[in-house]
Amino acid sequence: MRATKGVLLTCDAAVKQILLAMNEKQFFIIDDLDDNHLLIKADMEYMVRRELEVELEKNTYSLE
Amino acid sequence: MPAPTEPDDPLLTPAQPHTLIAFLVKEPKTTLSRLYQRPSSCLSIFRLVSPLERQLIMNLLWLEAPVPLSTMAAWVVRQYKKVYDEALHSLSRLNILHILQDKQPLNPTQDEVAPTEDKLALNPTFKTSLRQAITGGGTNGSFGVPAEKDEKRDIEALDGYALERWETILHYMVSSGTGQQPASPSPGVLALLKGSGLMMAPQQGHNLRITSKGFQFLLYPPHAQLWQLLIQYLEKSTARHMDIVDVLAFLFMLSTMELGREYSIENLSKTQTAMLTDLRDYGLIWQRKSSSRRFSPTRLATTLTSSSPPLPTATSVSSGPKDGFIVLETNYRIYAYTDNPLQTAVLNLFVSLKYRFPNLVVGSITRESVKKALNNGISADQIISYLMTHAHPQMRKNNPLLPVTVQDQIRLWELEKNRLKSEDGFLYNDFTSLADYELVLNYAKDLGVVLWENAAKRAFFATIDGHASIKTFIETRKRALI
Repeated sequence: MRATKGVLLTCDAAVKQILLAMNEKQFFIIDDLDDNHLLIKADMEYMVRRELEVELEKNTYSLE
Repeated sequence: MPAPTEPDDPLLTPAQPHTLIAFLVKEPKTTLSRLYQRPSSCLSIFRLVSPLERQLIMNLLWLEAPVPLSTMAAWVVRQYKKVYDEALHSLSRLNILHILQDKQPLNPTQDEVAPTEDKLALNPTFKTSLRQAITGGGTNGSFGVPAEKDEKRDIEALDGYALERWETILHYMVSSGTGQQPASPSPGVLALLKGSGLMMAPQQGHNLRITSKGFQFLLYPPHAQLWQLLIQYLEKSTARHMDIVDVLAFLFMLSTMELGREYSIENLSKTQTAMLTDLRDYGLIWQRKSSSRRFSPTRLATTLTSSSPPLPTATSVSSGPKDGFIVLETNYRIYAYTDNPLQTAVLNLFVSLKYRFPNLVVGSITRESVKKALNNGISADQIISYLMTHAHPQMRKNNPLLPVTVQDQIRLWELEKNRLKSEDGFLYNDFTSLADYELVLNYAKDLGVVLWENAAKRAFFATIDGHASIKTFIETRKRALI
């Protein structure tokens, strides 16, 4: 029986795939739990959020 | 057959009690009794409680003897009994209502006692003072002593003064985020803003930055804003060794004064004289100079406990009633018919302003502007309710008031921010058997700390708080097995 410390991320399937791709460059995923949940290292959470926001902003367009 | 309760009945859902009531119930009963010695305080509190409670007080006001509970309860229709009980409960917490228990032995030789008959009575101090307030008796000057040399103050000048003071405070809060330096209010006000969490100083110095609570505060109606600041002031006053009864009594006295008359400061206690400077800074009273022996209340003070608007709103544009000035179109464009810099600054928080004319401000709600507001701590609901409260009367012919597309899009932009949710904790896996897994899982579920589980993988995730208890549970089990 093992207990692993970490941060549980709940998201939709699309965001999870983006995070898996991000993991190739900077390793932060400890375990892939299911379609909507990931376990990542506790201290990397802020960096993950920031990178995700940058990634999602690439898909938005504005008129100005 | 009992009548079915209708869930949408407005009488069954009580209105929000005034924030001051929540503050008063935390005070000890002796303080409240001392407060009720002044008729003006009783009258003001009477105005603040809900209509049902007011009716209960009026019913009991002119009775000399206490009334049995069952008599009062006979007046109540069964459907609304819950509302009646809540009203009784809230009045007794304010120490206005006393429930007296009356035991009388049936027969002195027998040990049986008659069933206790609970009776209702008003707090005697409250009763005397409220009667004095209504019938105009008593000479203790609790409604303010008018000054002898009574020059009628110009009401417009008073309104202008109050508006200018109040807007300086709000303007200071709004512009602190955008880097402009408007006139700053007095240090006492700044201390109050910092203490109530509406602004904070990231580094030592005079630059206060607005917090997300401060942004929400800006979108509230003026009454709510005023009372929030005053309650903060009340809480600070105990730390400054000011008698809270004096402070409250002075505020209630102000709320019953007449706009435009001057009052002398002779009857005020030391605490209340000290309060004069603070109240001048918030725009509640006006004094010719700080050593003047007279003062006069502004509209902000006289409408403290009433529901009329506390500030004269901008009258330069006479189209429509004074508080609706925003037109929102389905193409996300906003037209705000105002020249008030404060309202423009508040709009700038979540609208990208494009053009400014003498009587009109044009802008549009864009993804950037809403995201900026969301990052500052304003929620989508607050933006939507601000737009609804200040909608121009021309918008009233739309049903619903605001275009559904714009409302939904603002909410979607808020949801975009919440795509990823995170929780700290521990993952438990590698259980030797399914029975083991289920045992620990059920224990964790009883504690209520399970965030995720998967029986196929024999793993579950629990919060940090649960970890210590789960660890002890497993260890006791291991020792038991050996």
